[in-house]
Formats: sequence, C-alpha cells, structure tokens
Amino acid sequence: MKANIIMNPHPMTLSPSDTVATAADRILKHHLRHLPVVDEQGRYLGTFSIYSLLKLTLPKAVLDKHGLDNVSFVTESVGDLAQRLGKRRDEPVKNWINIHEVARPDTHAMEIMLLMLHGRTTSVPVVDKATNRLEGIISFWDVLEKLVGESH
Amino acid sequence: MHETTAAASTFHMALAALIFVITYVVIMTERVNRAIVALLAAGVMILFGVINQEAAIRGVDFNTIGLLIGMMVIVAITRQSGVFQYLAIWSAKKVDASPWGILAMLSVVTAVVSAFLDNVTTVLLIVPVALLITEELKVKAYPYLFSMIISSNIGGTATLIGDPPNIMIGSAVNLTFNDFVVNLAPVIVVVLIANLIPIYFIWGRHLKAAPEDRKRVMDFNERGAITDLVLLKKCLAVIGVVVLSFVFARFLGLEAATIGLFGAAALLLLQCWPHDADEQSKRVTHAFTECEWITIFFFVGLFIVVHGLDSTGLLRLLADKVLAVTGGELNATAMVVLWSSAILSAFIDNIPFVATMIPLIKAMAPSFGGPEGLMPLWWALSLGACLGGNGTLIGASANLVVAGFAERAGQPIRFVPFLLTAFPLMLLSVAICAVYLYWRYL
Repeated sequence: MKANIIMNPHPMTLSPSDTVATAADRILKHHLRHLPVVDEQGRYLGTFSIYSLLKLTLPKAVLDKHGLDNVSFVTESVGDLAQRLGKRRDEPVKNWINIHEVARPDTHAMEIMLLMLHGRTTSVPVVDKATNRLEGIISFWDVLEKLVGESH
Repeated sequence: MHETTAAASTFHMALAALIFVITYVVIMTERVNRAIVALLAAGVMILFGVINQEAAIRGVDFNTIGLLIGMMVIVAITRQSGVFQYLAIWSAKKVDASPWGILAMLSVVTAVVSAFLDNVTTVLLIVPVALLITEELKVKAYPYLFSMIISSNIGGTATLIGDPPNIMIGSAVNLTFNDFVVNLAPVIVVVLIANLIPIYFIWGRHLKAAPEDRKRVMDFNERGAITDLVLLKKCLAVIGVVVLSFVFARFLGLEAATIGLFGAAALLLLQCWPHDADEQSKRVTHAFTECEWITIFFFVGLFIVVHGLDSTGLLRLLADKVLAVTGGELNATAMVVLWSSAILSAFIDNIPFVATMIPLIKAMAPSFGGPEGLMPLWWALSLGACLGGNGTLIGASANLVVAGFAERAGQPIRFVPFLLTAFPLMLLSVAICAVYLYWRYL
C-alpha cells in the first residue's frame, strides 16, 4: 500500500503569513498536533506543530543549540510563560515551522511507519517530488485504521 | 660540497617559508578547517624534506598538548555538574538583580572562570545564563555579551592555563603557574577594571529594569542549577588538587602536562568507579568526545610547521632583523613585541602567531644576556597576543562563539560596531600593559 492511498488528501493547512494565534486556535479547536504550512501554489514549506507552540513559550536562551539544558532553577509561573506566548501571538507562523521528513505519493507503508518511528512524529506530509506540492498528510491514525481494517 | 649544502639550505628556507605563508593565508580565509590545514602543511614539510618525521615529532610540544587535553577532560566532566551556571546565577542575585550590577558581576565571573578554563568553554557555559537573565529583565543582551567577550579574553591572560598562548609560552620557557599569576594577574585586574569603566558609561548607566522583572531573577533558585552534587564535590576536590599542584609545581618537580593529565585520569576514575564496564566506557567516551580535537590537532600541525621553519634558520634571521630595527634595546624590543602581537592578534589567530614568535624570541637570547634577559619579552608576548584578541570580532574563538549566540537570539553582533568600541578598548588595555611592563621590568 502506498502513501497516496493512506493519506488524507484534504488536510487542514496554514499559509505562511497566518499568525501564531490563528495556528494555536486551530490546533486547540481540532486537537491537531501538526499543521502543514503551504504557499499560494500549494507548495509545502514546513510544519507548525504543538512543539512550535512549546518553543514559543520558552525563553530563547533555553532553545539555543548550546542553550541551558537544565532550567530547574527558574521559577516562572504559568502566567509568565503565557505572557511570553501572548507577546508572540501576532508573529507569522513561518518563523516557527520545522521542515519534517516527507513521504512521496508512491512511498510504501513500511517506510512511512519507519519515518514516524525515527522522526518521533505522528504525521508525515506527502509531497510531490517534482512540484514540491503538498498532496496530503498521513497521520498515525490513518495508518492504524488501515492496519486494523486489513487484519479483520 | 659546502656550496651545495648552502644552496640546499637556502632552498629549504625558501620552501619552508612558502609552506608557512600559504598555511597562514589558508587558515585566515577559513575556507578549510584549520586542523586539516595545519596537518596537511606539516605533512608537506616532511614530504619536501624540510624536516624528517623524527624531527617533526620533536617539534611537537607534548607538554602543551598534554596540558590542553587534561584540562579539557576535567572541564568536560565538571561542566555536567552545573556549577558554572550556579556561579552566574548566584552572582546575579548578589547584586539584587540590578542590570548594571549583573553586567559587572557576570563580567568578573567570566574573567575569573576564564583564568582557569578555556575561554570558549567559559562563554559556552555562562552566556546562556546571561541571555536568560537579560530576557527576564527585558534589557538588551548586547552590552552583556560585549562585556563577557572582553572579560573572557582579559581573564584568560592571567594564568598559565587561561589561554593557549600562555600554555605554549609557559611550556617553551619552563614558566610555572605562579610565574604567570605573579607577573600577569596584577595588571590583568587593572585592565579589567579599566575596561568596565567605559562599558559603564557607554551602556551600564542606561540599563533599567522593572521591579517585577528583577524579582523574577531574584526568584531564581541557584541550587536548582546544580544537577549532580556528588559529582560536583569530586570535581572540586580534583580541581583543588590540580591548582595546588600547579602552585607547587616547581617544588614538586612536576610539569604542567603531568598535572593536567593526572588530574583528568583521577577525575575519570572518580566519575566511573564503581560502575560496570559499559557505563565506564560510555562516560570515558563522553569526556573524550568533548575534548576539542580540532584545536589539539591544529596545535600538532602548527608545531611541526613552525619547527620546520625554525630548523631552516629563517626565524633566527628574522629575529636579527627585529633586533636591528629596535637597535637591540630591550625596552624598544618589548614594546614592538607587545604592540605588534596585540594588533596582529586582533586579526589573525593568536595560536599560530605565538607558535611562530616563541622560537623567534628565543633566538634573541644572546643579545639580551641569555634566557633570563628575555622575561619581559615573554610577558609582552603573552599580554599582547591574549589581549589583542579583544580588538575585533574575529580576534579570538570566544568572540565568534558569543557572536553565534547573539545571532541565534536575534540580537546579532556586527563586525564594525563591535570594532568601533572594542578596538579602542583593546588599545587602552595594551597601553596599560605597556606602562606596567616599563614600570616593572624595563
């Protein structure tokens, strides 16, 4: 079974100029973990995820690649953290996206599962190799549904 | 027969000089990793017969290499304990989290830690805390980062183990930890204060933070920064013994590499015992991986290249030229060494520079009544080469590491603005050192 059969061909997406606030609302409302960001031509630019939101609430000094790996001395309240997120709510999502490993429409099921396992992600964007267009998205639930369906 | 030898040696001299100059230029362009450049150049020296392998290996100062590796291992283990973050937070709270107080305190902490640790390691450990604090205080990070760059290079000058040029000089001339502390630390304290005063007038007095932001910093619990108290105690014990051994090195008859590597081995034992073989191998591997092998192999390659150059007699010729310019006067020579080291080190890596200057200065011994007479020149070289690193953003590796942090934090440090403040401050520092050298030695 290949990616184009398993995938959801009409995923919810964001445009690069959408704000962090819009993304957060959508994530919360639909209980999503990953939102692919596409440009006007439908090309995949990256993914805004719940991890992007976590990053938005943390100080930069913690996120740096040589940053603090232990922050147990900081006693910020939830209010302090929320304030930091609040200040960044009008930033465009394009500043906070990650480029995930993607599948191609003809990628096989096993490789997709391996991508999920190694990338520690529950969703894999399906992107056309030539046009870089987002064709769909495969969530862990899509895969599981197919697996359970087959085993019955 | 004699003529052919002379011709061969002139040929070797020209060849060695050519390899040396190309090496320098390629290192400066930073297009190829510096360890690769130095090792290739060393290989070329041997391939072209300037020196043979035996001579090349004799040219490597294993006392410097051993001390560097030993200290790197000790630091790799100690940093896991969180003690340096503890120190930074503790110092920030000591001044009631006032923005200028924190800037001054973090600068002093950076200078003191740099005196005992490699400068790059120091800023890697303390800059993240500074960034966190400035974010909490809602003040610009630039003045803090600027001051920490300056302080780390200044602090590193104070001791034998603070900065690679000192390790090289100490090893080449057989100077102890105490020699450096007694001769350099006093002027370094003055230089640090002299740099903080303009920093206060340029930025410090304008820094303001709201009481509620300061309170957030005061609420930091520095004990939380200590991740492993047992490990910390082991590290402090080993570092204590290592520093004491440095202090009594001459009395004990021990050289620096022995102390550094023995300390590293002892700390590895304390950290690994009584874990099983797998865990031990994991921990030792981690400590070794954290060593900066690029720096180590850069040193190895450079030592060989410089030794090759030195063996052709070219550096002796150059030393004579310098002496001709200074009229063979110690005062003038010391000033030339101090100022040229400082200005050059602001633009080029001070490690290859000092590696070249050491044999050059050694060759001047006959003119100044033997090795003893060279002491002011060694101090001039150390002060110039270490403090010169403050002149520009590319003057020292620590500068670039801090610039990397600043860039990623969205508050980049630009080359020219940095130069406009840092270069005059560097000249001020070197001028203070010039006065000090005159007053104390000349």
